[in-house]
Amino acid sequence: MKLFIAALVAGATAASACAQAQDALPQAGSEWFKLGQDTLAANLAKKPNTRRARNIILFTADGQGVGTNYAVRLFSGQQKGLLGSEYVQPQEAFPHLALVKTYTTNGQTPDSAPTAGAMNTGVKQKNGMINIDPSVDHGDCAGVTGHELKTFAEIVSGEGRSVGVISTARLTHATPAGVYAKTANRNWEDDSKLPEGCTAQKDIAAQLFDQVKAGVIDIALGGGRRHFIPKDAKGEEGKSGKRTDGRNIIKEIQDLGGQYAWNEDTFKALDLDSDKPVIGLFEASHMKYETDRTGEPSLAEMTAAAIKKLSKNGNGFFLDIEAGRVDHANHDGNGYRMMTDGKAFADAIALADELTDDADTLIIVTADHEHSIAFNGYCGRGSPVNGLCYDVDGKGVKHAAEPLKGDDGKPYTVVGYLNGVGSVLKKQDDGTYSGSRPDVTEAQAEDKDYVQQALIPLSSETHSGEDVAIYAKGPWSQLFDGTVEQNYIFHVMNYAAHNGE
Amino acid sequence: MHRRQFLAAASLPLLLAALPARAASDLLRIRDLYNKDLSFSPYAKAHEGRTVAVRGYMAPPLKAQAKFFVLTSRPMAVCPFCESEAEWPDDILVVYTDDIIDVVPFNVPIEVEGGLELGTYTDTQIGFVSRVRITSGSFEKM
Repeated sequence: MKLFIAALVAGATAASACAQAQDALPQAGSEWFKLGQDTLAANLAKKPNTRRARNIILFTADGQGVGTNYAVRLFSGQQKGLLGSEYVQPQEAFPHLALVKTYTTNGQTPDSAPTAGAMNTGVKQKNGMINIDPSVDHGDCAGVTGHELKTFAEIVSGEGRSVGVISTARLTHATPAGVYAKTANRNWEDDSKLPEGCTAQKDIAAQLFDQVKAGVIDIALGGGRRHFIPKDAKGEEGKSGKRTDGRNIIKEIQDLGGQYAWNEDTFKALDLDSDKPVIGLFEASHMKYETDRTGEPSLAEMTAAAIKKLSKNGNGFFLDIEAGRVDHANHDGNGYRMMTDGKAFADAIALADELTDDADTLIIVTADHEHSIAFNGYCGRGSPVNGLCYDVDGKGVKHAAEPLKGDDGKPYTVVGYLNGVGSVLKKQDDGTYSGSRPDVTEAQAEDKDYVQQALIPLSSETHSGEDVAIYAKGPWSQLFDGTVEQNYIFHVMNYAAHNGE
Repeated sequence: MHRRQFLAAASLPLLLAALPARAASDLLRIRDLYNKDLSFSPYAKAHEGRTVAVRGYMAPPLKAQAKFFVLTSRPMAVCPFCESEAEWPDDILVVYTDDIIDVVPFNVPIEVEGGLELGTYTDTQIGFVSRVRITSGSFEKM
């Protein structure tokens, strides 16, 4: 320890000496120069946390790669009246960072199933599959026997920790399913989707029940009610179930003594001091986008509730939290909802950070993959990221008044997509695709239902294989450094949970 | 930009003479019919039974030769009846037309004009339940 302190003092002295030597530089008085010096000093003062992580929180914003994260940063800053670029999201202030390669064993571009599996088991998997080793073919139900991988949730719950899973998507969707399920096909969310004769594995909702009953999952909050109730039954909001086996899994969890919430009121009424399991299913399918949300809790509110419940366990907890609809908005080519759900994700991170102690809680913030999102033009500072790209003002800081235009004489938005429903190529009566870029005004572009222009016509915009980031703080977060494989996340979580003072 | 200018710039061979003199931004959006809790908005209640113009997208129709379609706020590539109701956003609008519709691709914005009808209605032919509808609707590409 003495050596460590000596090294720190030496580092600080070096920084101070360096700062003194640079005083003579003509730029030394610049605010940018001072900011750079402050960042240098902060980095020199970083202390590795080598304590054992009692709690581990894994945040995933589905589809929020480096580019999407950039859009959310600018949007969040501009909502606060800033130009945008200078804004720092809560996770961006975390001390440790790595870039993640998201490819899967058979996909240069991943879907959300194997990426979740990689984070939860430590090995890469096949597209469309969750927590099954990659020797099994996609969709091969019989083949899964003996090839199920052990999840991080199973490891730590077996050691006495509590586990929670939260998503704004369906709880049976790929990312949350990665915490508790093992399936040859991510679409087998209820028994009606299982192929005939498939007995080697259960559907995903049934697996959630089994994991609750086994004591692996203590709290699960999200959407997807329809996969837990029979097809001839209706949920509290009047929408039908999907199950064909007649099971009402919600009632079965209640019969175990569990609590159930389906809307904001029942969510607020949950007894979080109880040691009984909790399931919240707030929509028949996915929960609402943040901008459309009504009558159901926010991601931040669900995060706070889960931390409150899980913190009752002195052995610690693992909590997996997904902002599932950043991805859906990108798939729809709708930048506004992508950004507002990305902001809600950041709000949940800030609250989780506030409610936990850096000394014993490892917080990891990442994404599972990026999208085909791209950014246009040499925009001046403050160009609305959900609007048009304006020219740089050579005489000032904020953008000029005129939007930049393409060679077709029409303005363009800051955000665009390489493919999707916003394609400028429209289907013609003869089945061919052609068209030209529509004109767009600032007001049209900023409308929350606006769909950004895209190139290749597709019914749903696609993921991309581009890197995503990891932001981390807390015990052993310093192990996130450089460019890493996605399955490495498990290895850091597993090491941090079991090593240190 | 004035809608006429927009159309002229886009060189679309539409029925300009039939268009109302209205700026594109004045057009109603489906969400204007609802409050955030999905109850009907004051605008919707005030315009019940009256002619309104709404912008949106035509979801892929159930069948050929149909006299109705679903208007969506944002492009939806799937047929509304081919998927569970839960897959659909809450803010859709059923449009009934007097004539068989000319199908427009799902991602081409359209303007619909017709009578605004509120209240739950079950279509006896297709079983589709709607809370709000446009009747005697006509539409054009924007």
